[in-house]
Amino acid sequence: MAKCDFCDNPATVHMTEIKGGEKTQMHLCEFCAKQMHPGDGGSGGVQKVLEGLDPKSLGGPPLAVRLTCPQCGMTYAEFKQHGRFGCANDYEVFGAELKPLFKRIHGSTRYCGKTPDGGAVDNEEIEQAVRAVRAKLDQAIREERYEDAARMRDEIRVLEAGEAQADVADNPDRDEGDPADHPAEGEA
Amino acid sequence: MSDAPLFEPRPPDLPGLWIKDSGPENDVVVSSRMRLARNLRGYHFKPRQEEDEGKRLTEHLHGVLSGLDHDLRWFDMEELSPTLRLVLFERHLVSREHVDDERPRGLAYTTDGTVGVMVNEEDHLRFQVFAPGLNLEAISERIEALDNEVASRVEYSFSEQYGYLTSCPTNTGTGLRVSVMLHLPALAYRTSTSNDDEPGIVKVNNAAQQLGLTVRGIHGESSKAEGDFFQISNQVTLGRSPDQAVGDLRDMLGQVIEWERQVRQILLEDDRLSVEDLVLRSWAVLRHARRIASEEALQLLSSVRLGACLGLIDGVGVTTIHDLMVSMLPGHLQFRDRAKLSPDERDAMRATLIRNALAHSGPTS
Repeated sequence: MAKCDFCDNPATVHMTEIKGGEKTQMHLCEFCAKQMHPGDGGSGGVQKVLEGLDPKSLGGPPLAVRLTCPQCGMTYAEFKQHGRFGCANDYEVFGAELKPLFKRIHGSTRYCGKTPDGGAVDNEEIEQAVRAVRAKLDQAIREERYEDAARMRDEIRVLEAGEAQADVADNPDRDEGDPADHPAEGEA
Repeated sequence: MSDAPLFEPRPPDLPGLWIKDSGPENDVVVSSRMRLARNLRGYHFKPRQEEDEGKRLTEHLHGVLSGLDHDLRWFDMEELSPTLRLVLFERHLVSREHVDDERPRGLAYTTDGTVGVMVNEEDHLRFQVFAPGLNLEAISERIEALDNEVASRVEYSFSEQYGYLTSCPTNTGTGLRVSVMLHLPALAYRTSTSNDDEPGIVKVNNAAQQLGLTVRGIHGESSKAEGDFFQISNQVTLGRSPDQAVGDLRDMLGQVIEWERQVRQILLEDDRLSVEDLVLRSWAVLRHARRIASEEALQLLSSVRLGACLGLIDGVGVTTIHDLMVSMLPGHLQFRDRAKLSPDERDAMRATLIRNALAHSGPTS
């Protein structure tokens, strides 16, 4: 199944907008679609999705809520509520559910930096390119240039292609996703 | 609360107050700080930790840190008096959570107070390195060395996808928070020659957001910008390397520092009398007050600091002011007097401390 244009959940809602003779298609998951308020003309809806999803307004996805880490007993629902992992294994167990969360907090789901054994993980160039296109995408949406926005969205997809392939293996039977709330910062 | 005594039976080996030393760009930059969050493989994160496990982890890391080449001393937090814990918090060596928590935890520190490692805070390890003024390269090298040395002795929780795995997803990745404390009285006041403009700090805030940086008050998260002191730090820890985070911050700081200096001069040229009035009234209150609360003292010290940098006041440097900003806080006053002081007593003691420190200062003749 195709993925949502704005997160990694499967797209179940398909929208077509015709403006000035140009046709633009959007493929959204249920959650992002709810944020779009279909029927209100669409204006401002996409921006709302990108600005952050309000989890209070969303129904909880049953599969995600049932995820429980066998090592520490942390459930996804509990993690969502408190914003803290119980052990390193939670990152594996919650898998693809975390990607929208990290995208929203950091604008990325890929590490750049050293490894504990003195090596390096270098995604810097891709990340910089994605950030640059994303900034343009935000601008296009603010200006309601949806055709441009759709083109930039595709451009980001191509840049992130390597990551997208890896996503498939994360949680293949999941049929819905839930972007967790942005947790409070635990700054010292 | 634990049964720890209010005061230690003998004066403990308190880490030094490094902030009173001078550093680069000290007219605008108070201090630089870097923090790394790390967790060990094989141990639960704090929310899922049993007391026994916390104790084992703390003892293990105490052993690891003691064996390093960094001459680290050690405090078991639960054995310290509430006053000493407060002193460590006021020196930014421990967080409020590390003060209040009742579970096994510790602090490793250097005697000069520029390095602190919180053990079993929100993450198993929170390395912190501090320096006076703007000194990002030096603290970066030092924290890297510390982290690499520990990495050779323990196994960190790490994944190729997400980097260093932390308890809170806002730290996942590099686990790095680099922050610089700035004194921006001119930008907090206005932006240029026109009084109608929004204050420059609003623009600093907006620019910071574009770069994935954030602007906060003196005590970090959700604190107000008391005394026109601001902290600028990175937010993003995933998708940006530490070098890039530090580079972004350095680029932005260069501009903010220059801008603050320019607006200070503009204020002086445009309305010298008002600036002098603000600075010297503040100085006069601090020089003669018999009682003063810490919020008022900080605001007035901020104006005196501006006056000292603009050459309107002699006999007091920014380093004296930085020393006072910490020494006048409740934990330090009580630790110094070795007594539990009421708020009124603290206000009187604070006023005396500041009067004495400013005894040889005065308006530039």
